[in-house]
Amino acid sequence: MSVLWGILQALIFPGFLFLSVYALFAEWMDRKLFAPMQNRIGPPLIQPLADTIKLFSKETIIPKAVQAGLFTLLPYFSFAAVVTAFLFVPVYGVPAISSFPGDLVIVAYLLTIPTLVLSLAGWSSDSTYSILGGIRALTQLFAYEVPFFLALFTPALLLGTWNISEIAARLPGFLLANPFYFIPVLISFLVGIVALQGKLERKPFDIPDAETEIVAGPFTEYSGRLLAIFRLSIDMEMVCGASLLAALFLGGPQPFISWMPGIISYLLKTLAIIFILAYIKAAVGRIRIDQMIRFGWQILAPLSLVGILMVVLFQKGGLI
Amino acid sequence: MSKIINWSRRTSPWIIHFNAGGCNGCDIELVAVLTPRFDVERFGILLKGTPRHADVLMVTGPANLQIRDRVRRIYDQMPNPKFVVAIGACAISGGIFRGCYNTLGGMDEIMPVTAYIPGCPPRPDAIIQGVAALIEKLRKGD
Ligand code: SF4
Repeated sequence: MSVLWGILQALIFPGFLFLSVYALFAEWMDRKLFAPMQNRIGPPLIQPLADTIKLFSKETIIPKAVQAGLFTLLPYFSFAAVVTAFLFVPVYGVPAISSFPGDLVIVAYLLTIPTLVLSLAGWSSDSTYSILGGIRALTQLFAYEVPFFLALFTPALLLGTWNISEIAARLPGFLLANPFYFIPVLISFLVGIVALQGKLERKPFDIPDAETEIVAGPFTEYSGRLLAIFRLSIDMEMVCGASLLAALFLGGPQPFISWMPGIISYLLKTLAIIFILAYIKAAVGRIRIDQMIRFGWQILAPLSLVGILMVVLFQKGGLI
Repeated sequence: MSKIINWSRRTSPWIIHFNAGGCNGCDIELVAVLTPRFDVERFGILLKGTPRHADVLMVTGPANLQIRDRVRRIYDQMPNPKFVVAIGACAISGGIFRGCYNTLGGMDEIMPVTAYIPGCPPRPDAIIQGVAALIEKLRKGD
């Protein structure tokens, strides 16, 4: 019985099906929030679903020059990695469906896979635009990945645990008891959001798929079903990243641990993070790749180190 | 099932824009369609940079010897089902270029065209109406 229950949880709620629906909703939310900031109305609620169905029903072209096997497998890799990462993030209460000591490291690495897949997709597509996009994706990875990891590890260091569910459960209470720690956690949260924006390749970090320079970057040769899976996996990555930040810094489904109120509190927190992401996207333009690297290493990485340093100093100073 | 697929095609036509050698008048009007004033994302229309992602090829300018193979190649690169919309007098019949030594005539000399939007250049409203007519055609046919 419990095996069946586990499978149901992984496939329907809060696993695969919920993630798909929420990812489509998050894409709509993102586009809809983006539109009024540009003085537009924006797409209807059903739009991302229509896009996905249309892409699935279209012809899938595999160009002659590509390595067909790699080319077709890559979107599924990125998709699977994101769906697996989501199983470790608490949605309706703690612990999440799957949780063990140290799952934070696994999730951090699983969320890196989509970027690696992108660069591989660029390479295997055998088109100038795709290869350029792939190289840019990989170059950009070095700028945001380290700050992102450091930011994620601040709360872990603070509480002395590497378990996402445990951090989500204990952080709010800990912060209320020791208000000094608000400062490093806030710094890490901000770094995390900016780095997530880079991870998702959205403005100002949409350098790998800059449509005005290199058409669609690594996606240039993808069409039909494969493109749909890529799009879906990027939407899911957005939801997964937002949920991870919500769990690590905002307490996930806290202060409720039961079903319904927990879900509502989780949705509100993730939507707030998606709102911030959409706002950044609307407010800035694209920067160049060298500016991105400089920004990553001169501003983001030192800031996240300051967060970690503060935690260590506070703990050594006996503020705990 | 086919009803759902047909609905999704109507709801999310992604376009790619190609200038086959017109005077750029039509292109400016087409770009105006995508700006906040007209905001065609309301209808799910997005401008895509690569033919692999697009459903509708919006083509302006006359069919001429120079462009014939290029526009054909772009058309061939698009995944099925695909549609072509000819914008402006040039793309419909050759327009002011008709009768030139290098002009073949309208775009339908090169590939099948689903909808024609007359004007020199057509207003953005007319372009939106043309796309709406294409969508209407999709609803009835298929
Ligand atoms: S139809 Fe008129 S405006 Fe359009 S490209 Fe031709 S000449 Fe220019």
